[in-house]
Amino acid sequence: MKAPHIACRPIPRRSFLKGSGVALALPLLECMRPAFGKTVEPPRRMLLIANNLGVLPKPFFPEGAGRDYKLSPYLTELASHRDEFTVFSGLSHPGVSGGHSADNCLLTAARGAFRSGFRNSISFDQYVAEQLGQVTRFPTLNLGVNIDKGNRSLSWTRDGVLLPAEDSAPKLYERMFVQGDKESVERQIHRLEGRGSILDTLLDETNRFKRELGADDKVRLDQYVTSVREVEERMLIARAWENKPKPTTTEPPPADIQDRKLFFEKFDLMLSMAQLAFESDSTRIVTLMADAFVTPALRLNEREISTDSYHGLSHHGQAVDKVRQLEEIDRRQMQLLGKTYASLASKKEAGERLLDRTMVFYGSNMGDANIHDNTNLPILLAGGGFKHGQHIVFRRDNNAPLCNLFVTMMQRMGIETDSFASSSGTLTGL
Amino acid sequence: MKAAFFFVICGSLATLRAQVRPPELNRLISTRCAVCHSGGPSAKAGLDFSALSFDLSNRAIRDRWIRVHDRIEKGEMPPKGMPFTAADRAALLKELTPPLYQADLADARKNGRGPMRRLNRDEYEQNLRDILHLPDLDIRDMLPEDREAYHFNKVADTLDMSRVQLAAYLDAAEVALRQAMVTTPEPSPIQKFHTFGRNLFPGLRSTGTRQSMFFIKDNHGVNVESEDDAPPLSKALLEDQTLEMGLFRSPGWPYGAFPRGFAANHSGRYRVRFSARAVLQHPDFILTDAVQAVPMTFRSRRPTNHDIAEDVKSVGGILEIKPGRHVYETIVPLAAGQTVEYGLLGLPVPQVDAQGITGSYRFPPMPPGGQPGVAFNWLEIEGPIPPESWPPASHQVLFDNLGVSPNPAQPKQEAIRLLRRFMSLAARGPVPEEGARKFEQLVLASLDRHEPFADAVLAGYQAFLCSDLFLYLREPTTEFAVADQLSHFLTNSRPDAQLLTARLSDPQTVAHEADRLIDGAGFERFVKSFAGYWLNLRYLRRDDPDKRLFPEYQLDEYLTDSLERETLAFVTALVRDNLPIRNLVQADFVYINDRLAKHYELAPVTGSAIRRVELPKDSPLGGLLTQGAILKVTANGFSTSPVLRGAWIMDRILGEPPTPPPPGIPAVEPDIRGAKTIRDLLTLHTKSSTCASCHAKFDPVGLALENFDVEGHWRTHYRGTAEGEVVKGIDHTGHDFTYTIAGAVDPSGTLADGRTFRSISDLKAIFASNPRQLARNFLEQLTVYATGTPVRFSDRVEIEKMLDACESNGYRARDLVRALVRSKVFLGEYGS
Repeated sequence: MKAPHIACRPIPRRSFLKGSGVALALPLLECMRPAFGKTVEPPRRMLLIANNLGVLPKPFFPEGAGRDYKLSPYLTELASHRDEFTVFSGLSHPGVSGGHSADNCLLTAARGAFRSGFRNSISFDQYVAEQLGQVTRFPTLNLGVNIDKGNRSLSWTRDGVLLPAEDSAPKLYERMFVQGDKESVERQIHRLEGRGSILDTLLDETNRFKRELGADDKVRLDQYVTSVREVEERMLIARAWENKPKPTTTEPPPADIQDRKLFFEKFDLMLSMAQLAFESDSTRIVTLMADAFVTPALRLNEREISTDSYHGLSHHGQAVDKVRQLEEIDRRQMQLLGKTYASLASKKEAGERLLDRTMVFYGSNMGDANIHDNTNLPILLAGGGFKHGQHIVFRRDNNAPLCNLFVTMMQRMGIETDSFASSSGTLTGL
Repeated sequence: MKAAFFFVICGSLATLRAQVRPPELNRLISTRCAVCHSGGPSAKAGLDFSALSFDLSNRAIRDRWIRVHDRIEKGEMPPKGMPFTAADRAALLKELTPPLYQADLADARKNGRGPMRRLNRDEYEQNLRDILHLPDLDIRDMLPEDREAYHFNKVADTLDMSRVQLAAYLDAAEVALRQAMVTTPEPSPIQKFHTFGRNLFPGLRSTGTRQSMFFIKDNHGVNVESEDDAPPLSKALLEDQTLEMGLFRSPGWPYGAFPRGFAANHSGRYRVRFSARAVLQHPDFILTDAVQAVPMTFRSRRPTNHDIAEDVKSVGGILEIKPGRHVYETIVPLAAGQTVEYGLLGLPVPQVDAQGITGSYRFPPMPPGGQPGVAFNWLEIEGPIPPESWPPASHQVLFDNLGVSPNPAQPKQEAIRLLRRFMSLAARGPVPEEGARKFEQLVLASLDRHEPFADAVLAGYQAFLCSDLFLYLREPTTEFAVADQLSHFLTNSRPDAQLLTARLSDPQTVAHEADRLIDGAGFERFVKSFAGYWLNLRYLRRDDPDKRLFPEYQLDEYLTDSLERETLAFVTALVRDNLPIRNLVQADFVYINDRLAKHYELAPVTGSAIRRVELPKDSPLGGLLTQGAILKVTANGFSTSPVLRGAWIMDRILGEPPTPPPPGIPAVEPDIRGAKTIRDLLTLHTKSSTCASCHAKFDPVGLALENFDVEGHWRTHYRGTAEGEVVKGIDHTGHDFTYTIAGAVDPSGTLADGRTFRSISDLKAIFASNPRQLARNFLEQLTVYATGTPVRFSDRVEIEKMLDACESNGYRARDLVRALVRSKVFLGEYGS
């Protein structure tokens, strides 16, 4: 017995999702559509990725516009995917300022997050999920990397209430794939039925509560009533899904990565989980927030740990060594994006590339984190069947609304709408 | 002229604008403020007085005017250089204050001081623990994390409800109720486990070189000849009852020191008894008796051999293992399938090498005098410890005297009786009859559907525990609501029986009850939660100290744990011992144990228990500012920033949070290239007058703390990686390290008001000279925490009254709490 009692091995690296991929029972759409779907179009999906500290603007934004633009240093990391994505400059949310506090507003475009009494508005992903109806087991999946779950999220309800992100890959895997035995499924269905009557009671009981209430109390109680109603609505659908088998996979569940220094490993893992969710049609919409703001000093590569927290580095003040470390971080994220593009492109669904059915949005609420600037946001869009390979340029001094891009994306999702939040139209040129 | 015109317009639109500015106020604003603050889009800071209504019943407009009031009051506006006399300022405030006060008070009277507040997840868990008599109930992590506002997780406005939140409450309530119910006719059979010698460790060796763990016979290591191999022990040794297992390391991944062959069959509390002695290890695996005790802990975990990413919890407290063989005992809660892991605090943690390459788990060099550790001889685990009665108290809360598997002859009648009984036990006030009937109907409907009796009743309980009646704390308009608010303030849980029956219409009784709760056991929860948020203690483990710069702190959980207990003990003493508030910044004592005595370079003390120690004269220590926990949460593990520390102290301790740069002012990109020292850097930071005026308020405060490193250890020089004298060695985790002694620390500075200090002691004296400010901030933090609503404009006068009342005695902390709970701020109109 050579090895000590405890296996010496590095921080658990996932072994799954590598190579040819995961065996999945695909697609589930066929059996689901008659029951729940509103459309018979091929499914459209979107992956909305955000990093709340953004990237260094100079090496990110390219020179030249249109199809002949020159790849910027960062975008050379995506050179082999040049025709798969579009880079935008001159986009932001009008009137949204407040530096870090705006990171909850990337998908909501709500203004004034830095004020006390601020209330957020519905986020893009939730809005789309509402319009789409529940065509998949999960209307959306809201994921996070190193995320401060209580205080930060990309997803917000109509009432402006935070929807917490999932940051554990094993838990997500379990929700998506782990199938209970017949007995436990029946028990679960029975449980949901019992819960239905409980919710009825709660609604009923609360309706009683209409005596004199202060204005603020009324708002609170309305939130409660809305929540009860929404749980009830979703439960009806959940019960139907409970009867359907979950998709299967031959791969073992992923190992959790808890070490917050391993930012890229976690990011990579969550991107793979997002892809897995699409492949299994567990959901059509995934949000993923990399909470750089609370990420401590991180492992930059095999040899090096950063000399400061991610946030500390972002206030580089042009210090050479900090800028170098940030560039390394930014480039690695571009590489992860490229890997995601490639991986989605390599998968086929009904003869089409998964990438062509999946819009991959990457962006940030920060145009320049060093100075807490919320304008000129770095935005990339890949996939979704758009004509890519362009640099679409808007004015740096008078940005176009980012929500215009959201409207365009929504229309691609098959939703008939011409506005969202602060949009002024669709985004021209895609 | 313009003003008069404006006034006329206002008058004519009286139906639209509820109120107009008083003429004198209008004159002052128009002549003194509107010069810059008017003209629509060009108005400075987006404040346009010509367009700002004076309808103070509108909250947004009132808030705007309150900001105007405050900036004028603090002298921030009008800016320097504008014609504005002290008389102007006084006149303006005299005009502005009364209408704001009246409007705010009217709003509070009409709508309540603050909205009803959802229980946060800590409170929900504790409520259920108390109702169900399940002290170890663990459902907090089933609920989403609560949002934070004004530093706390107790603010009504941000404790939102969503479908996710409600579904989580339903799940958590269900889990709790199922745990409270038993289904077996008798308690789980008691499992008795006894083992010794070789079986006290799962394998034959641990990670880390041999020195980490080995078996001992007659003070000599056995089976230690080869570093790589661990040949099986001889049959004689396997059966040798005198064989000991020696452990010389702290727990840390990957680690697994637990007995062979034990896993709990059932969840419950287990009694762990063992025989052990503290020892010293010398070269060649020779042991002698130790001189000092070694603190030991247990963690509950599954007996797997790696990947302890799962649920691992510290349980059973700290035991001091003394030299010489003794028998020790502790009680640990275990879930089915779990075992107990042994941990020795403050000892080396052999780790993968600094480059992250696996395979090297070097044990650090042996300190002079030997490496401390513990030799274990035998171990017993027995449990689950049966409850005092069967079915247990938790089951009786649910089913009274109906026993296990309740199946009464008259199910409907009994179900209703039980439901009424449960609601009276769980509710924190009277349940309206109409509401109670809804829950009854639910239970009866379940019975009609032929649900099992227990399921039907539990559905009713679950509904009640997720109803608005249970989930929300209400405005203190009744004695029940006052009791509720008071107990959630001081114990994070529901009122006990005495509180529910106390005559709380009398503010004096409220103060008495507060005293009782402060002296009670539940007060620990207040301290943990209040300090966790107010002082960010919950972030103590957020940043690991950098491996290169601070090798001495690597994986030193004993230090982190001690730092946490120090600050908790301090805050506890502040209130319980009714200490003058000055102690927040300047105290002549500290709370330390053996590890902290070393950390703070004080005279050695023995043992892990935190105790009060008087400081030598001229010590820079004492008070919050120099506590390691505070200095750690205000740093990032790598460097200390006077900007961040200064801003933090001004915000948390002095109640002067830095204001974010006003909108409309372009952010200035600081260029820190060429800044050699922290002072160069700060000078560059504040080159722009826009930045400088604010940074002057907090940067210097942080400078005074530069003598304290990222863990709060005293330093005279910075450490670096490039320039300066090189220091090399092997740290206590077996890593090589190299750092340099960089520039000297200069802790002197000048505050914004011109007062200068040479060191932290000077700065502390400056802060201590204004105890009223410290006390005001303390009261304001308590107000948010206790009432879920920050101090309102109309509360301010009440806060000042409380301060007046506490002034003569030096603003003592418990006095301040007492003053708060009997005030209108806490009791609302109920208190008047």
